[in-house]
Amino acid sequence: MTNQKNKEGLIVWHFDYAFTTFYEIETKAVEHLVQKPLIPIEVAPGVSLLSLIAFNFPEGALGTLPEFQELTLSLIVTPDLSRGVPKSAMYILSLGSTNQEHLDHCVSYYKLPVYGQFTRVNIQRDTHAVEYEDSNGPILAMKNVHPRPEFSKGEHYFQAFVEDAGDIYVADVIMKGSLFEHQQAGEAGKLWPHPFFRGIDLDGAEPLVFMQMLHKPGSRGQQFYPRPEKFT
Amino acid sequence: MSPIKKELPPYTEFTFDMFMTSAGKDHAEITQFNQWRKQVLAADMYTFQIPHLGAQRPEVSVKRVSGEELDLISFANYNYLGYSYHPEVLAAAKQALDVYGLGATGSPILNGTFQIHELLEDKIIAFFGMPGYGVSLFSSGYGANLGVVSSYVHKGDYVVLDRLSHASLVDGAVLSQATIKLFKHNDVDHLDRVLSRLDYKKSRILVCTEGVYSADGDTGHISDIVRVAKKYGAAVLDDEAHSLLIAGKNGRGVAEEQGVLEEVDMIIATFSKSFGGVGGCLYARESVTNYVNWYARSRMFSCALDPAVTGGLIKALELAAGPDGKAKRERIRSNADYMRSKLQDHVDIGSSHSWIIPIIYGDEHISIPLSDYLQRKGLDTSLMAFPAVPKNQSRIRLFVTSEHTREQLDKGAEVIIKAAEEFGFLLKERQT
Repeated sequence: MTNQKNKEGLIVWHFDYAFTTFYEIETKAVEHLVQKPLIPIEVAPGVSLLSLIAFNFPEGALGTLPEFQELTLSLIVTPDLSRGVPKSAMYILSLGSTNQEHLDHCVSYYKLPVYGQFTRVNIQRDTHAVEYEDSNGPILAMKNVHPRPEFSKGEHYFQAFVEDAGDIYVADVIMKGSLFEHQQAGEAGKLWPHPFFRGIDLDGAEPLVFMQMLHKPGSRGQQFYPRPEKFT
Repeated sequence: MSPIKKELPPYTEFTFDMFMTSAGKDHAEITQFNQWRKQVLAADMYTFQIPHLGAQRPEVSVKRVSGEELDLISFANYNYLGYSYHPEVLAAAKQALDVYGLGATGSPILNGTFQIHELLEDKIIAFFGMPGYGVSLFSSGYGANLGVVSSYVHKGDYVVLDRLSHASLVDGAVLSQATIKLFKHNDVDHLDRVLSRLDYKKSRILVCTEGVYSADGDTGHISDIVRVAKKYGAAVLDDEAHSLLIAGKNGRGVAEEQGVLEEVDMIIATFSKSFGGVGGCLYARESVTNYVNWYARSRMFSCALDPAVTGGLIKALELAAGPDGKAKRERIRSNADYMRSKLQDHVDIGSSHSWIIPIIYGDEHISIPLSDYLQRKGLDTSLMAFPAVPKNQSRIRLFVTSEHTREQLDKGAEVIIKAAEEFGFLLKERQT
């Protein structure tokens, strides 16, 4: 039921750190950011999900690039099940990185909506806590709230949508690694109002944590990310 | 990790939310869902919607898709007090069938109301015993919540729901077009914060809670919720679907148990659980029920309650209000306590202190093989998995009744503990 194939333009990204948090947010605060036929998936009436994914890519993970960190902001939207049944479908809203060459590649190759370069990223692998900021101030402090993660090797299929010049593009992405996901309640950090969030009213929306996905610190994972193809 | 977890077949990687919707015009979700269902059927693992061959007694017979018939001990139905097959209830239903015929064949507000419906309303009013109150009957519990919420509040108003609210309350809120706000399950401090942010001085607000929540078997903090709601001038709806006729000294529900029966604005009853029939009702001040009778669309545009069922419900209520009900209430509590005592040292039974006992097995991916295993080992159970409950919190739900014998409870506990060994969810394994 999952049709991900070894598509042309596939790049395998090797990472040694990945941490995702899904935040609940009022649909009315984000629905204008998505183009039809995609719409936000609601987990309760009027409640959608924002996803924030923090990555660390070690030196040599992609060509000759040095070690760098990335942060992606997405909205969870309706998947296209004719392509396969993904774990979730992300509509990517913003991407930042500590490496300009990586950002340039993301624009030209993946049509990703690049925000810009971060000036400070702090990743605490032992506690699964990350902090990102740039010259505009702090962006987020995000931490795992599960006391005993139980990692197991797995492979997950996702759909990644992007908008470029009025058209939507989609890529079938596969993540492989030692993974754990949970919905433990708890204090998972803070999102600051910041241009990285593309005008989403975080103060008014008061995001709550819905779910977290962790990759085992210290282990290597792979992200199979082909060049996106036109969706509409 | 148990050997079963290591060898999970591909169809177990999917949860039902993954087939809910798809972008585009081709309804790919229907194709993908049917492909998944076909795989589960081909593996002879399909335990859903399995036909039962007789009444919902503690022992039932079922017919699997393969044609195989199994005799099971049932912990899956809501026939808490056994009234669905009580001889006096059946006799009353047959008598009503002879007098009124098979169906009501009309909307209750037009031609579908029979004298027997009014008799049931009078019995319910007498059962609660509060002057100035009325009853509005619905042909399902779902329809009662849908119709009551959507007729009581409208666009511009607010519905404030517990995060674990039943789908019928959620759907009623959506239908009402009111603004929906959620508060964390039973968290009155959070409810207070949610209400304080609303324009409560100028707006109508309806707060919804429940007597017993069926995912965890815990009770709603109704008295605290009422106190906070009243501070903001909000009305309170209390759905006693899983608790009426059982909780409280006289079986009037958790609101009676917590001493706030008169403070709650609306009580919803479901007739498909402890009453043993089908249908539902609103119990509220007569001025409210008169209005709901006219403006609840799920009542106005739905056929009135089936008369034979109505006859049976009247008898079930008579029995529940008397010595029979008192004895059954004592027995169901004693049975639930006994079952908990058999299970609590072996498996995670959460925070239940009612007749609904969850056994938390965690990983949603083992749900299909586990359900199949339990059925083949002789238990009819009800599994609840992500996204209906949080990740790693999937559970078997046991609905204990007053009619279970100790032997049946012993057998049920024995199979559950054996399943926990086989599937790796014994308490000691979940705690490590």
